[in-house]
Amino acid sequence: MPKELIFEAKGMRKEFGPTVALKDVDFSLYRGEIRGLIGENGSGKSTIMSIASGMQPATKGTMVFKGADWNPHNMVEAQLHGISMILQEANTIPGVTVAQNIFAGHEDEFSRFGVINMKKMYQAADEVLARFGMDWIHGRDLIDRYTFEDRKLVELVRCVTEDTEILVVDETTTALSLEGRAILYKLIHKMTEEENKAVVFVSHDMDEILEQCTALTVLRDGEIKGNLDRAAMEAPDAVKNIRYMMVGRDIGEKYYREDYDASHLEEVALELKNITFGNIKNFSLKLHKGEILGLGGLSGCGMHDIGHAAYGLEKLDSGRVIRKGTEIRNPLDAIENGIGYISKNRDSEALILEGSIQDNIVLPSIPDLEKTTFIRPLDEKKMASAEIKRFRIKCRNGSQYVNTLSGGNKQKVSFAKWTAKGSDVIIMDCPTRGVDIGVKQAMYGLIEEMKKEGKAILMISEELSELIGMCDKLIIMKDFKVTKEFTRAADLKQTDIIEYMI
Amino acid sequence: MANNENQKPALVDWVKEHGTDLAAYGGLLFCIIFFTITTSMAGSSIWSQAKIRTLMSDVIVTALMSVGAVFIYSLGNMDISIGKQIGLYSTIMVLLGNATGSLILPVILCLVIAVIIGAVNGASGEVLHMYSVISSVVFMMILSGVSTIIYSTIGTRNIVLHTVDTSMLKSPVIMVAALALETAIITYFFNFTKYGKYAKAIGANKTAAEQSGINVVKYKVIPYIFLACTLVVASLFQMGYTGAASDSTGTGFEMNVMVALILGGMPLNGGMNSKVSCAVIGAFTFALFDVGLPIIGVPTKMTFMVKACIFLVVVLITCRKKNGVLPR
Repeated sequence: MPKELIFEAKGMRKEFGPTVALKDVDFSLYRGEIRGLIGENGSGKSTIMSIASGMQPATKGTMVFKGADWNPHNMVEAQLHGISMILQEANTIPGVTVAQNIFAGHEDEFSRFGVINMKKMYQAADEVLARFGMDWIHGRDLIDRYTFEDRKLVELVRCVTEDTEILVVDETTTALSLEGRAILYKLIHKMTEEENKAVVFVSHDMDEILEQCTALTVLRDGEIKGNLDRAAMEAPDAVKNIRYMMVGRDIGEKYYREDYDASHLEEVALELKNITFGNIKNFSLKLHKGEILGLGGLSGCGMHDIGHAAYGLEKLDSGRVIRKGTEIRNPLDAIENGIGYISKNRDSEALILEGSIQDNIVLPSIPDLEKTTFIRPLDEKKMASAEIKRFRIKCRNGSQYVNTLSGGNKQKVSFAKWTAKGSDVIIMDCPTRGVDIGVKQAMYGLIEEMKKEGKAILMISEELSELIGMCDKLIIMKDFKVTKEFTRAADLKQTDIIEYMI
Repeated sequence: MANNENQKPALVDWVKEHGTDLAAYGGLLFCIIFFTITTSMAGSSIWSQAKIRTLMSDVIVTALMSVGAVFIYSLGNMDISIGKQIGLYSTIMVLLGNATGSLILPVILCLVIAVIIGAVNGASGEVLHMYSVISSVVFMMILSGVSTIIYSTIGTRNIVLHTVDTSMLKSPVIMVAALALETAIITYFFNFTKYGKYAKAIGANKTAAEQSGINVVKYKVIPYIFLACTLVVASLFQMGYTGAASDSTGTGFEMNVMVALILGGMPLNGGMNSKVSCAVIGAFTFALFDVGLPIIGVPTKMTFMVKACIFLVVVLITCRKKNGVLPR
């Protein structure tokens, strides 16, 4: 049976000033298809579907959706007509209930004479959440009490309705827990296999793409470099070919560290001594100079909370966080004592989106740049330019606003803040989230360099391969407790670890 | 991956990035041209010595206050007690000026009071977990009460300074010099020191600012201290121009500040796009309407309506929320 075309873009072009994000791209999407879009940061993979879903207009080109010309003016219009997009960063409304988030803009369905029947709304929310398999989230609860991962799932519920014909999942899985990912995968397979709808899956995770998608489009520098069907995706050298198409060169085999030497200096760089707060009870760890210490587990296991506490962001009930004999009570103490922190919640906690790349990179280093009270603009520019160069941040210059960068380039900026500062201890919470393989490789190289320089790194990650590949010691957590510790070894595998996580 | 660092932004991009600035500068330029032409057609000139004097007296107090207020607006805050503070400081200057024969002591006292009020306004938001504007409303009420007590005690609604010569403060040259000096000082602190950079960062994303090591309480208080100092300077010129103070001195000044800043292109939610120039541009644009509209024949009672309409248009263009809520 011939495949039925649901969406088509012809000659789609998108320009941001002198930067061409999409170069006259032709893109087709068929019913029943989960099409992966893969490419480096800034390759244009998110741009295609952000235009299709009304987030921004194309500079040139035409689109056809369900056989008719398509030119949405905004995301609301696109969603009403059947194209929904889940974005990378949190997009829920704080301070209101889960139900109010799910039915935002649909309050009329629950109101009589202008009064909203909240009980009815909560019930409807619970029903829809149960249908999606998210029975631990409740309609009447405030959205703020849920984790970042759960809020992402609420967005999914808000976004996908019976009328959704095309679902665009833009780097969302990096923000989901394993459980959340399972729900998403089940949903997209149901949509495509049972309802003959289409899904576009934008991701950097090659394994995930190869596992979940039925077709793949590879982009580089705003151009489509290849379209692969399922057979091509299953070919023995598929991964190598796709990487080559993405990067335009052979990136070689070196990705993670190649040594299995777990040694480090004796000196303790950061110590968490019997800390107790929230669900964490009596937790201790010692991070040494020249050590990469990994914290792994499922998203809600408490590892992110430990990162918070180590940076002085948690009010401890008991215990202490100590750096060189000084107690760390807040981020200012942490920074003054050479600690840096890359937050998982990049857009809401790590970056000033409406600020320039330069503003963001120099922010923690302002006291270092200050001479009496004066901060020389040239010094700021020099510092930012060096980091832009080091991380190959794809931008016009340091004055470009961060909110115009792709997700991966934003992540590079949040990393660059601390390399610019020269922090000796860096707490990295999901440091390579949303970053493409080329940059990941460079970041891993940089982390390895830092280790050699004697810097101490606390790496919190949900990617086991990353933890196994980079860490000297790996602490696995489950239900806010340490379940197992592993030392770096050549024969350490994900299967050895998973049983201690679940 | 290519790093296009050396590429120059295209004109369209530059216009997009500086749209608000262009609108603010363009608005001022338009007003200058418009009133130059229309007032000369009406047989007068907005640039006559008398009108310049009126213009400057109209501009100076609003501009001096607005320049200081840039700091707190960059935090995304506002201060409703500005007008009442100006009223109180003017009253103190007249009363103590008459008693001591000098303005030195009253100015010092006003500075002390202003700094205390500023510190409380700045810290209350973080310490008491409430909007800073609430504590400024409280101060507005308290200062109203203080003013009522003072004027009812002395048995008049208007007091005149008769022991100190304030003619110097009426000179347009001195006014321009004072405004230039204050603008230069505030610009330095706002653009080239951590005080301004931190205020903008807090206004743009408080969490990110905090995680970057900024002491939010401290750097929320400091902007209010800057405002406090500029309010005392503004009070000096307000009192100096009339040589008097009354129980209605300063009434509505906080709104003048807000209108001037918005006309000048200041984002009401603060953040990285806040600029000191907004205050000066906005205050001049605002004053041009005040002086120009009556000359071209708009009745005084109608000038408020005209200004309100212009303000509404500016707000609709610059502050309107563009995106709706995504439906389910």
